[in-house]
Amino acid sequence: MQSWRRKSLWLALLASWLLVLLEVFPLLHLAVPTRPRAGAPQGWPRWLDAELLQSFARPGELLEDGPQPPQALRGGSCNWGACFDTSKCRGGGLKVFVYPAAGPVSETHRRILASIEGSRYHTLSAAEACLLLLLSPDTPTGECDPVPPQWDGGRNHLVLSLHPAPCPRTFQRGQAMVAEASPTVDTFRPGFDVALPLLPEAHPLRGGAPGQLRQHSPRPGVALLALAEDRGRWHMAGTDFSACPWDGRCEQDRGPKQTHPGATLPNATFCLIPGRSPDALHFLQALQAGCIPVLLSPRWELPFSEVIDWTKAAIVADERLPLQVLTALQEMPLTRVLALRQQTQFLWDAYFSSVEKVIHTTLEIIQDRIFGASAHPSLLWNSPPGAILALPTFSPSPSDFPFYHLQQGSRPLGRFSALIWVGAPGQPPLKLIQAVAGSQHCAQILVLWSSEKPSPTRWPKTAVPLTVIDGHRKVDFAFVVWQSFPERMVGFLTWSHFWDEARGGWGYTAKRTNEFSMVLTSAAFYHRYYHTLFTHSLPKALRTLADEAPTCVDVLMNFLVASVTKLPPIKVPYGMWHQEARPPPLEPGGPGLRQEPQPAAQNCINQMAAGFGHMPLVSSRLRLDPVLFKDPVSVLRKKYRSLEKP
Amino acid sequence: MWNAEVLKSLVAVTCPCQMVQSHSRLYPPHTVARHQVSGACSECEEEALWVIMCASVKYNIRGPALIPRMKTKHRIYYITLFSIVLLGLIATGMFQFWPHSIESSSDWSVQKRSIRDVPVVRLPADSPVPERGDLSCRMHTCFDVYRCGFNPKNKIKVYIYSLKKYVDDAGVPVSSTISQEYNELLTAVSDSDYYTEDITRACLFIPSIDLLNQNALRVKETAQALAQLSRWDRGTNHLLFNMLPGGPPDYNTALDVPRDRALLAGGGFSTWTYRQGYDVSIPVYSPLSAEVDLPEKGPGPRRYFLLSSQMALHPEYREELAALQARHGEAALVLDKCTNLSEGIPAARKRCHKHQVFDYPQVLQEATFCVVLRGARLGQAVLSDVLRAGCVPVIIADSYILPFSEVLDWKRASVAVPEEKMPHVYSILQSIPQRQIEEMQRQKWGSVSNPLFLPLIPPQSQGFTAIVLTYDRVESLFRVITEVSKVPSLSKLLVVWNNQNKNPPEDSLWPKIRVPLKVVRTAENKLSNRFFPYDEIETEAVLAIDDDIIMLTSDELQFGYEVWREFPDRLVGYPGRLHLWDHEMSKWKYESEWTNEVSMVLTGAAFYHKYFNYLYTYKMPGDIKNWVDAHMNCEDIAMNFLVANVTGKAVIKVTPRKKFKCPECTAIDGLSLDQTHMVERSECINKFASVFGTMPLKVVEHRADPVLYKDDFPEKLKSFPNIGSL
Repeated sequence: MQSWRRKSLWLALLASWLLVLLEVFPLLHLAVPTRPRAGAPQGWPRWLDAELLQSFARPGELLEDGPQPPQALRGGSCNWGACFDTSKCRGGGLKVFVYPAAGPVSETHRRILASIEGSRYHTLSAAEACLLLLLSPDTPTGECDPVPPQWDGGRNHLVLSLHPAPCPRTFQRGQAMVAEASPTVDTFRPGFDVALPLLPEAHPLRGGAPGQLRQHSPRPGVALLALAEDRGRWHMAGTDFSACPWDGRCEQDRGPKQTHPGATLPNATFCLIPGRSPDALHFLQALQAGCIPVLLSPRWELPFSEVIDWTKAAIVADERLPLQVLTALQEMPLTRVLALRQQTQFLWDAYFSSVEKVIHTTLEIIQDRIFGASAHPSLLWNSPPGAILALPTFSPSPSDFPFYHLQQGSRPLGRFSALIWVGAPGQPPLKLIQAVAGSQHCAQILVLWSSEKPSPTRWPKTAVPLTVIDGHRKVDFAFVVWQSFPERMVGFLTWSHFWDEARGGWGYTAKRTNEFSMVLTSAAFYHRYYHTLFTHSLPKALRTLADEAPTCVDVLMNFLVASVTKLPPIKVPYGMWHQEARPPPLEPGGPGLRQEPQPAAQNCINQMAAGFGHMPLVSSRLRLDPVLFKDPVSVLRKKYRSLEKP
Repeated sequence: MWNAEVLKSLVAVTCPCQMVQSHSRLYPPHTVARHQVSGACSECEEEALWVIMCASVKYNIRGPALIPRMKTKHRIYYITLFSIVLLGLIATGMFQFWPHSIESSSDWSVQKRSIRDVPVVRLPADSPVPERGDLSCRMHTCFDVYRCGFNPKNKIKVYIYSLKKYVDDAGVPVSSTISQEYNELLTAVSDSDYYTEDITRACLFIPSIDLLNQNALRVKETAQALAQLSRWDRGTNHLLFNMLPGGPPDYNTALDVPRDRALLAGGGFSTWTYRQGYDVSIPVYSPLSAEVDLPEKGPGPRRYFLLSSQMALHPEYREELAALQARHGEAALVLDKCTNLSEGIPAARKRCHKHQVFDYPQVLQEATFCVVLRGARLGQAVLSDVLRAGCVPVIIADSYILPFSEVLDWKRASVAVPEEKMPHVYSILQSIPQRQIEEMQRQKWGSVSNPLFLPLIPPQSQGFTAIVLTYDRVESLFRVITEVSKVPSLSKLLVVWNNQNKNPPEDSLWPKIRVPLKVVRTAENKLSNRFFPYDEIETEAVLAIDDDIIMLTSDELQFGYEVWREFPDRLVGYPGRLHLWDHEMSKWKYESEWTNEVSMVLTGAAFYHKYFNYLYTYKMPGDIKNWVDAHMNCEDIAMNFLVANVTGKAVIKVTPRKKFKCPECTAIDGLSLDQTHMVERSECINKFASVFGTMPLKVVEHRADPVLYKDDFPEKLKSFPNIGSL
């Protein structure tokens, strides 16, 4: 009995085990591989016969792409290659003829005309022009112009309208390019039309207000967000904007309301701008304020989008994702916020702050298209000082300009050319030539003889470089300093400008003061590019002024460089040789090398300021000396010991 | 590589939520994929184990019911226990003997199938055809962003439809199933982070219908195949890839297959067909470049100045090229198809000029400029070959949208010449200076930029915040505070109390000064505490000053602040130091002697922008920050490296040298200690230079003094008379 029971027990155990094993094994088989397959990513299959797959093109199909004759003109839409005749521009580059206005001219029109007439592109003859510019009327009541005489289907025409056209088009734009404020993306022809910013009514003609960003700060204790509202107003939202802040959907809890009548600049880090066309006005405001524009699905083309890389200054977001946009803005790294804010300021100042800049940028874009290969590289458009001030005719290589050494990781070449201007009657500047030639960095010397005396027949032997007499380190030091600041002027003698309350104008003085804002170009290092800029970019009126009064040349050059760099020049110690040239020391505060500027010359600074539209000069309170300058160590240790002499 | 490029650009262009990310970032899909696979594998192991456990538990519960005659509780218990142990053993054993299926993830996570087993789908002749491509489509009109918001970190997810073979009513295939290139492309997408299997979470959909070559498919039927995809919905959020659009005779520049709202990544777009901000322009893939391994060639002049290697050119163009060659002789080389090649040599790999035979694409490396001329299509595969060979492409194809033109600046790496200017192409190229040609040959797309690039002189009214790092030298600290508080532009004083064992003195004991004084207590005695971006710093300018710098006059400090305002992106400091290359030891050396040059300033007394505190704390490369804290030294050298590296600019040393109480050496002025100190500092320089991978410090020969410093001028009229007194 017991054995039977034991047997049956074992049997049952065995049976149950068999059952268990039988059931578990297939289950394991099934369960183990299938479960993960359902959960883990499968991905695109690795085909067993992937090796056998054919290429997408037959061998040779890619290489023997059927030949096609040169492209014929295509109807309908226009692009640059098809609708612009560059052969007309071969001679003198971009020459612009402006159609005279038919009826009464509005103030804005007058400004545009003035700025084109003052530019280097203007021509008075329609025949020699390569671009014919037609200002579309902007008076709401004004009559629409008839088709102009040289219309020719609009070929080589630019129809410019700073405000969305108020009168229906009387003629087809045809092959004419349209430069329009905030054009809608649907009709905009990229690479052919030009998108302009929507300018406020009272936009200044020249100069223009500087950007509002006063410090390099990502979040300078201002609101995070400003929302664009009607008629150029802004609504500030603090950091707590969790409740859906736009499109008026959350009217109830809008928090502290700070709306101002009229156009006020938003004081915030980000500016949310809806995508409707009228809101484009907010875009410029935000740009000026250093408030990063966050465009919510813009239906209009961003201004100058052909050349400006807006990803560096603005954010284009989808209005349908409010929460994601807000989170993204909150989490944006400080480094990027900082970079974006600075870029808004640069772009504002380089291309938008005045009507003149907007017009010149438009023409510059068209000129770039004509130049083709030798146009501005994108770097020149998108980094200070901007493409208007970096003439592509000077050099196509950014490293030839004084501005881009940092981005390019290069340094100015270690040689300079000395340009000596001899105007005043007196002994020829042989000493100066010798001193300059004594510099180890001197490559050539050019003497510009414009004195009434005939030039001396005997010059020091000037197989360039001049025979080196002894180490003249004064010039060397200035040059070495200039290499660190290639975009600035480095000089020995300085002037400073000041606001003359009594006369209600600017004045300047050569008196020794604790600060300075100009260096005398008669002895200064600066990049030769500024000569090109001086000759080709300045309005003719200013250059004429400078030709008439020689001291004005110095002022004008300093104005030019300061308006490009926004920085003061650099002063270095001048050691002995200038003191020789100086009149005997007068009482402290007496005149320096030159006489106190004459009243006529005093006036020149005011005319310059008017011509530039603002006062670009910046003052500095420092001088750069050699590291051991007048330090109590042995003179033998000092590299620039000649500067030490009293 | 272009797969990764396609992917990157696809994301850059199509992702509306990633607007914050920089366009230039490249995601290496292969590394990501590997990571993901291994992650998935460990997950399946866990899951397998869990299944086995479940199974065993289940059977143990059932076990006793199967043996009804078991009466003794303890026997049942015994048996149950035994079975558990045994089952466990079996399970473990099975686990052990299943190694391949568990570890080789490819078998698990990716199916191994044959192309021939792909399911066949029959398309009825009257099945719907999508609308033609909508040319007015933009992201905000045709793209559904709501499908893209599900995923963490706003990462878009891409779904790939499974491969099917489409046939028409008669059973004739609509197109070839899939090409090698499209298969590779889909594999790259699938291996990337963007891929999802879950169709409901996907933001972008990629059909597996191969559209790369329009000649290889039937236009209407392919469109029908697209229309019946499960999530087609007028093509919303669908991304199609095409490289050879159009067909004879007029060769459209975009895919002719009706595609409604679908996005198109196409090779050969023209300005007429390209929807800016919606479509993506991609290069035409060239199998040749992938086959041939071309060595990298540095910039510099090459044997030929201009080379044309395309075979099928319009006679008019060929004439013009021949005229170029006639005019410029050896410098220009125009190649054509070889007519008398012996059998077995692939014609694609050879080019001929008269009777001379050249290897292609190797010959491209012999030229400075290579012509990429429009054929029937605007996008030419030769562009890929030319770029790979390091030849500068001269693109002669009016209205062609260059690949990835929205994110790449082609002007930096190519020359575009209008078709009508073709006769002048040689002179146009000759006018480019050699330096620029070399820049183009390097194909450099990116560049460094200074984080504070805007020229701006901060207003003086803002003032500066002085940060005094102190441990326990209270008396000296109080003297420093009193001295610094005399500086007119000081707006706040922050004392960083770095001693955890001792409390700072009571409030009443501190010197009474005119500006707010805050004491910050730190959690650990670390040197990097000096550079922490404290919320209390409200001004842009920071003056870092040690608690023993009592020799600087108020004039000197105020002048230092004025100098900083003119150079807000630099370190502006008092004691200057220099690094030198030691030729004997072949390494960098630290120098504190009276030298004519300066490359560093000590942060024992220095002005700088507070942004650099943020960079020091969060963006210091490598292990430098920890290294500094561990060695309790060289935090100033690290700061000098950091600032010079991000700005590319030199420091500014202000005012003449003073007899500093050697702020860097601690207590004793012994010569031996001084020497070990110099060795340590030299080591820091070498260490940092290796971490940065370069020597960022810039050497200059100037320092800043007030305009009238040491000038023959009445002292009382000078703004900063008290400068340089010992």
